[in-house]
Amino acid sequence: MSLPARVATLVVAFLAVVAGVIYVVFGLIGQKPAVEDFRPYAANGSVDVTMMTAPQTTVSNKPDWVSYFIKNPSTGQFDHTTYFEVPPDTTVHMTIYGYDGCTPLRNPLWGHVMGVTGNAESVQIYNGKTLSAPQSVSTFDSWSNCSVQHTFAIPGLGINVPIASPPTVAENNALCTVSPCVGTSAASGGAPHSVATFSFKTPSTTGTYRWQCFIPCGGGFLDGNGGPMGTPGYMMGQMEVYA
Amino acid sequence: MAADAPSAPTAGPIPVRDRRDARWLLIIWIVLSVIGCLLVALVWGPHLPPGRGSSSAASQQVDFTVLGTMATPVVIGVLLYFGWALTFWRKPKGDETDATPLHGNTRIQATWIIGTSALVLALFVYGTIQLIVPAGAGSGEGPNPIWKPAGTTTSSLTSWTPGTSNILQVQVIGQQWAWTFRYPQFGGFETTQLVLPVNEPVQFNVTSLDVIHSFWAIQLGVKADANPDLNNVAYTTPQQIGSFEVRCAELCGIWHGSMYTTGQVVSDANFMAWTKKTAIQLADVTKLLPPYALTYDPTTIPAGKINQELGLTSAGGGYYNPADPVQP
Repeated sequence: MSLPARVATLVVAFLAVVAGVIYVVFGLIGQKPAVEDFRPYAANGSVDVTMMTAPQTTVSNKPDWVSYFIKNPSTGQFDHTTYFEVPPDTTVHMTIYGYDGCTPLRNPLWGHVMGVTGNAESVQIYNGKTLSAPQSVSTFDSWSNCSVQHTFAIPGLGINVPIASPPTVAENNALCTVSPCVGTSAASGGAPHSVATFSFKTPSTTGTYRWQCFIPCGGGFLDGNGGPMGTPGYMMGQMEVYA
Repeated sequence: MAADAPSAPTAGPIPVRDRRDARWLLIIWIVLSVIGCLLVALVWGPHLPPGRGSSSAASQQVDFTVLGTMATPVVIGVLLYFGWALTFWRKPKGDETDATPLHGNTRIQATWIIGTSALVLALFVYGTIQLIVPAGAGSGEGPNPIWKPAGTTTSSLTSWTPGTSNILQVQVIGQQWAWTFRYPQFGGFETTQLVLPVNEPVQFNVTSLDVIHSFWAIQLGVKADANPDLNNVAYTTPQQIGSFEVRCAELCGIWHGSMYTTGQVVSDANFMAWTKKTAIQLADVTKLLPPYALTYDPTTIPAGKINQELGLTSAGGGYYNPADPVQP
């Protein structure tokens, strides 16, 4: 091979490696889900945030992964993301629709509501029973009842809220199959689900607070901890507190 | 031909200039070393991490100070020789002659071998003592610790009173991605807060519910791996009231860097008040916890078996055991 040909080959190979590194760093590792900005919608020191858990993510290239969705405050649509922005020193009124089935907690401590207003959440499905009206509860027993599907936890703020699961076996076997679970169809928004509401105060200092689910719900992965449990945009995300 | 062959090097007397340089190097090295050692031992040493927040931290600070002081003459010697050579032993322009040939010197070699051997053996003895005397120096000793704090017993795992020989038991549980702490001597409550009494020996029982983590209480000088299905014991005695950082020191997943919390060392009275208040606050969830054990096996979660027996096919459907499925 001639010298110019060897030089050209070397340059092309070098550029290919650089391009590969750039693609991996920025295209894969650095990829960040969309961020729902709730700051413009805050009023009188509070803001409403609505989220959803779904047993699968049919809108993504990982359709069998469980995932959280966040309701876009502008469009009213549930977007496939777990990143949201809220203002500091503001009370977040959170509503979470739980469309997934039950999974026992690895650590029963996470069945305890912590770090939110009154250390309690309001639910109508509680410990395997459907209540006549929403009640304020503080502790779930996921080892005796098929009662919890996921948790919403912000460890940096000491927040942990278990999300109730549909109470019966039949309901757990008839979950939403198209995500996000919206509308009235029995296969989607009309599928069995719980609703949890609670409030918490964002810190007065700005910053990023990661949140996660404490149930190892990554089915098909070692100990249930991989896949959606370890991928931003599924069962973990960030609450970004900015003015 | 014979006239062109290089002449064999011959040993000769050390030139006067070299002896003068050696004498000055030695004097300057001794003076700088004395100053440097005093600065390291007396000025820098008391500020070296991890501080004096606990018995193990204090012993580690002493170790760092001793090692730093011992290393100072070596560092000064190397830098001084380097600087001297650059400054005074530069080759003049146009000087093409060879350097003075070097030959073996038995006295120097013996001094070097004996000196370094003595130094390493002394450090070995010192290091061993410093591991044994402070009861493992705050490191994990495994499930059956050899070195325990003097004057302590484990006479009761269900109660604890300040000022007694009964050592305080604190279980540290790692889980992706948070630390929780269980206090078996106060009803077995589990909490996300780590609170310790000052001047009371503590036995940390460190374990994990999933992958390998590492419990690192930085200012307490305590570091012990948290392995699933294994109890790793570490000891310390907090000596200063205040806060300390707890971090995970073993790469454990995407939020490893966020797996930290802040612990508190408080007075005996405040500790007892905190345990009483926390036990009441967490009473509802404490009764749902499994019986206190040194390790926990998540595959025995009763609800997981129940769910699987019920045939739940949801995304949950029960506990995912380690072989579900085996990942490549």
